[in-house]
Amino acid sequence: MRKLIGLILIFGFAFYMFTIVAAIVIPSDSSEKKSVGIDILQNSVRQTGAANAVTSIVVLYRGFDTLGEVTVLFLSALGIALLMKGGRSFKHKTEDESFILKTGSHLLFPFMFLFGIYIIAHGHLTPGGGFPGGVIIATGFFIVLMTSDVFKFRDYFLTIIEGFAGLSFIVLGIVGLFTPEKSFLVNFMNKGVFNTVFSAGIIPLIYAAIGIKVSSELSGAVGNLFVSKYGRRSENE
Amino acid sequence: MNNIINIETLIFTASIGLVVIGIYLVIAEKNLIKIIIGLNLADSGVNIFIVFSGYIKNKTAPIFSKGSLGFENMVDPLPQALVLTAIVIGFGVTALSLAIAIRLYKHYGTLDISKIRGLKW
Amino acid sequence: MVNPILLIIVPIAAAFFIPIISKAAKSLAKYIAFFVGLFNLIAAIYIFMHTINTPISVIIAGYKPPVGINLYVGPLAAVLSIVITFIGFLSMIYSFKYINDDSSPLFYSMFLLLLTGAIGMVLTADIFNLFVFFEILCISSYALVAYDRNRDGLEASMKYLIQGSIGSVLILFGIALIYFSIGTLNMADIALKYQNANKNLITIAIILMITGFGIEAAIFPLNSWLPDAHSSAPSSISAVLSGFVIEVALIIIMKIIFLIFSATYFLTFFAIVGVITLLMGELSAFKQENIKRVLAYSSIGQIGLILFAFSINTPQGISGGIFQIINHAVSKSLLFLSAGYVIHKTGSKNVSDYKGIAKSMPFLGIVFIIGALSLIGIPPFIGFFSKFNIILAAISKHSVLYIVLTALVLLGTIFEASYFFKIAKIMYTGKKRKEGYAKVPFAVLFPLGLLAIIIVISFIYTNGILNYTNKAGADLINKIAFIHAVLG
Repeated sequence: MRKLIGLILIFGFAFYMFTIVAAIVIPSDSSEKKSVGIDILQNSVRQTGAANAVTSIVVLYRGFDTLGEVTVLFLSALGIALLMKGGRSFKHKTEDESFILKTGSHLLFPFMFLFGIYIIAHGHLTPGGGFPGGVIIATGFFIVLMTSDVFKFRDYFLTIIEGFAGLSFIVLGIVGLFTPEKSFLVNFMNKGVFNTVFSAGIIPLIYAAIGIKVSSELSGAVGNLFVSKYGRRSENE
Repeated sequence: MNNIINIETLIFTASIGLVVIGIYLVIAEKNLIKIIIGLNLADSGVNIFIVFSGYIKNKTAPIFSKGSLGFENMVDPLPQALVLTAIVIGFGVTALSLAIAIRLYKHYGTLDISKIRGLKW
Repeated sequence: MVNPILLIIVPIAAAFFIPIISKAAKSLAKYIAFFVGLFNLIAAIYIFMHTINTPISVIIAGYKPPVGINLYVGPLAAVLSIVITFIGFLSMIYSFKYINDDSSPLFYSMFLLLLTGAIGMVLTADIFNLFVFFEILCISSYALVAYDRNRDGLEASMKYLIQGSIGSVLILFGIALIYFSIGTLNMADIALKYQNANKNLITIAIILMITGFGIEAAIFPLNSWLPDAHSSAPSSISAVLSGFVIEVALIIIMKIIFLIFSATYFLTFFAIVGVITLLMGELSAFKQENIKRVLAYSSIGQIGLILFAFSINTPQGISGGIFQIINHAVSKSLLFLSAGYVIHKTGSKNVSDYKGIAKSMPFLGIVFIIGALSLIGIPPFIGFFSKFNIILAAISKHSVLYIVLTALVLLGTIFEASYFFKIAKIMYTGKKRKEGYAKVPFAVLFPLGLLAIIIVISFIYTNGILNYTNKAGADLINKIAFIHAVLG
C-alpha cells in the first residue's frame, strides 16, 4: 500500500517535471544568460588574481558557505566519534592480509600523499583544491591503516591537528575584520604573479587549512568506524 | 530527431531519474542500507541538476590557464561552487546515517525497518 | 555596537576548540560553552537595541551583494536571535547537571553549533547560505537526538534523519530552479527580479522549498518524525528543538512567502493546514502516556496555531504570530525542562506514575502549572495576549472561512486545557511521596525559575513586547525597505 502511494507520488512528480520544466529548461537559449556567476567570471581575474574562477568563488566571494561546509564535515566527524564510543576495541588481524596488498599499499602511500598535497597547493590554478586533496590524503592513510600495522590509529593526535586547522581558518577570516574594509574573510594579501603557486592572496592559505582539516577529520572518522566493533555476540571476530 | 536527443535532454533525464529512483528507494524499501543508498542517489541527482543549470552551449571550463580563450567562452562558474558545498554536505549526512545504522544493528540485530519499531503511539 | 558576524563566528571557533582540550580537561568544555553562550546572549541584546529601529546590512568578504553574501539584521532577526540565544543559554545551564559522561565535550560542541545554525538561518540574506546553515542545524540535531545512544534515541534520530534529508534534497532542487530562472542567489535581488522570470518555474521552486522547510517545521502531513524525536532526545535538547528549531524553519517559510516572493495566494491553504495541524496535535496529545510525547504533540499543535496566525495576512496577525513564537519558546522549554527533572527524580516517563508528585516537589508543580497555563492562554500570563491578538486579527478579517477556523482554534484550546488539567490533577492528588525531594539543584532551579518569573511578570511589559513584535512583523512584510537596506 505504501509502495503504491509512493509510486504514484513519484511518477506524478517525474511526469510534471518532464512536461513542464523540461519544456522550459532544455530549449532555453542560454547564450546570453545574465547571472551573478557571469558577472563574477568577468571580474575574477582582476579582483582576486586566481586562475581558477570556481576557486575564487568558493573561497572569496562565497567564503562564508565554505566555512559552513567545513562546519558540517566537523559535525559529522563529531557525530561518528560520539556514536562509535564504547564498542569493543577491534584489532584487525593484519597478518591475514596478502603480501601483495601490504607491499602495494606501502608503495602507493607516498605517491598518494604527494599527489594530495599537489592538488591542495594548486587549488587556485587547476581544478581541485582543499576538499579533493584532503580526501586523497585520507584515502592514502586508510589504505595503509586497513592492510598493515605501520600506522596505529591515534585518535587524539588527529583531533588536535583538526582543531588547529579549523581555528586557523577562522583566524584568517578575523584578520579581515581589522583591515580597512572591516568585513570577515577579506582578501588582505597581495595578489602576486598570475598563474603561479604564490598568487591569489589568501586562497592558498585557506585551502591549505581546509586540506589539513579534511584529511585529519576523515582519517579520524573512518578510523573510528573501522576500529570499534559492534555486532551480535554470536559473530566471530 | 536530432533536436530532441541532445546533451541537455540526456543530462536532465539523468538528474530527474536519479532523484526519482532515490526517493522511491526511501519510500518503498525495507532495508536500512538501501534507504541510505536512496538518499545518496537523490543527492547525486540534485547535484547534477545544479551543475546543469550553469551550462551554456559550446562553452568550456572556467579556468584561465595559459591557452584559455577568455571569459566569453566559459560556462557559469557559480553552480559549480554550489555543488562543491552540496556534495560535501551530502557526504556528511551519509556518514552520520551509516554510523547510526551500525548502532541500530547492535541494538536490534536486524536492519529491517518494519522490525525497528520500538516507539509506538 | 557589536558586529553581528560575531554571533556566528564565536560559537564556531569555540566548537572547533573544545575537542582539542577534551581529553585533558573535560570540565573546561562546560566553562567555554557557558561563557560563549553568555557572550552570545549579551551580544544579541546589544544588537537588538541598535537594530530595532534601523536595520543594518553587514557585508562579508568585502564584496557587495548580489555578488557577495551579506547578513541582514532588522527587527525580526534581532527579536528571534534574542529568543534563540536566551533559550539556548538556559538549556545549556540545565544540561550542566545532567550531561556528565565521557563524551560531554562533544555534546557542548554540537550544542554550540546548533545555536550557530539557528542564528545563521535567521540573520542571513542569501538563500544558499540559508541552506548551509539549515544543514548545520539539521545535522547537529540528528546527532544530538541520538546522544543517549539507547534504542529510542537511535530509532528516532534515524527517522528524523531520513525525512530531513529528503527535505534538503527538495530545498536544493528549489534553489537550483531559482538560480536557473533568475540568475542570482541574494534574497533582496530575487525579490527585485523575480517578476521577469518564468512563472511556472518560480511556482515549482516555491512549492519545493516550502515542502522542504515544512518537513523541518513539522506541518501536517510532514511531521511524523516529531513525536519520536522530541520525546526520545535528552531533555535540554527537547527544550531547544521545540523551543526554537521548528519555529525558525516556519519563519523561513514565511520569509519566502512574504518577503521574497509575495506569494500570498498560498495563505488560505496554509490557514486550513494550520488548523488541521492544531487539531491533530491537540487531539493526539490527549491519549499519550509518556509525558514527553504529550509535550511533543502539543508542540505540533502550537506550530499549527502559529501557521494560522501568519496566514491571516494582516499586520496584527503577523505580530500575533511572532508573539506566539516568543510565548511558545518560553513556555514549552519550561515544560520540557521540568518534565526532564521529574523523569530524573522518579525514573518513569509515564504520567500515571506521577500521582502526588507536586506535593513533594512543590517548586516543580508550580512551574509546571505556570508553563501550562501560559501555553493554553489564561490571563494574566504571556500566552493570553498572544492568543488574544491572533483571534482578534482573525475575526477582523470578516470572512466566513476565518470565523469557522477561529472557532476550531478555540476548540483546540479547550482540548489543550483538558489534557493539561488531567496531568495537573494526577500530579496534585494522591499521597505525598518519598521525602527529601524538595531540594532542587541550582542548575535546574535557575532556568526553571527564570522562565517562570518571565512568564508571570511579563503582563506588565505586554505593550513593550507588542511594540517590538509589531516592528518585527512589519519587517517581515516590507519588501521595499529590505531591498533598499541590502542593495542600496
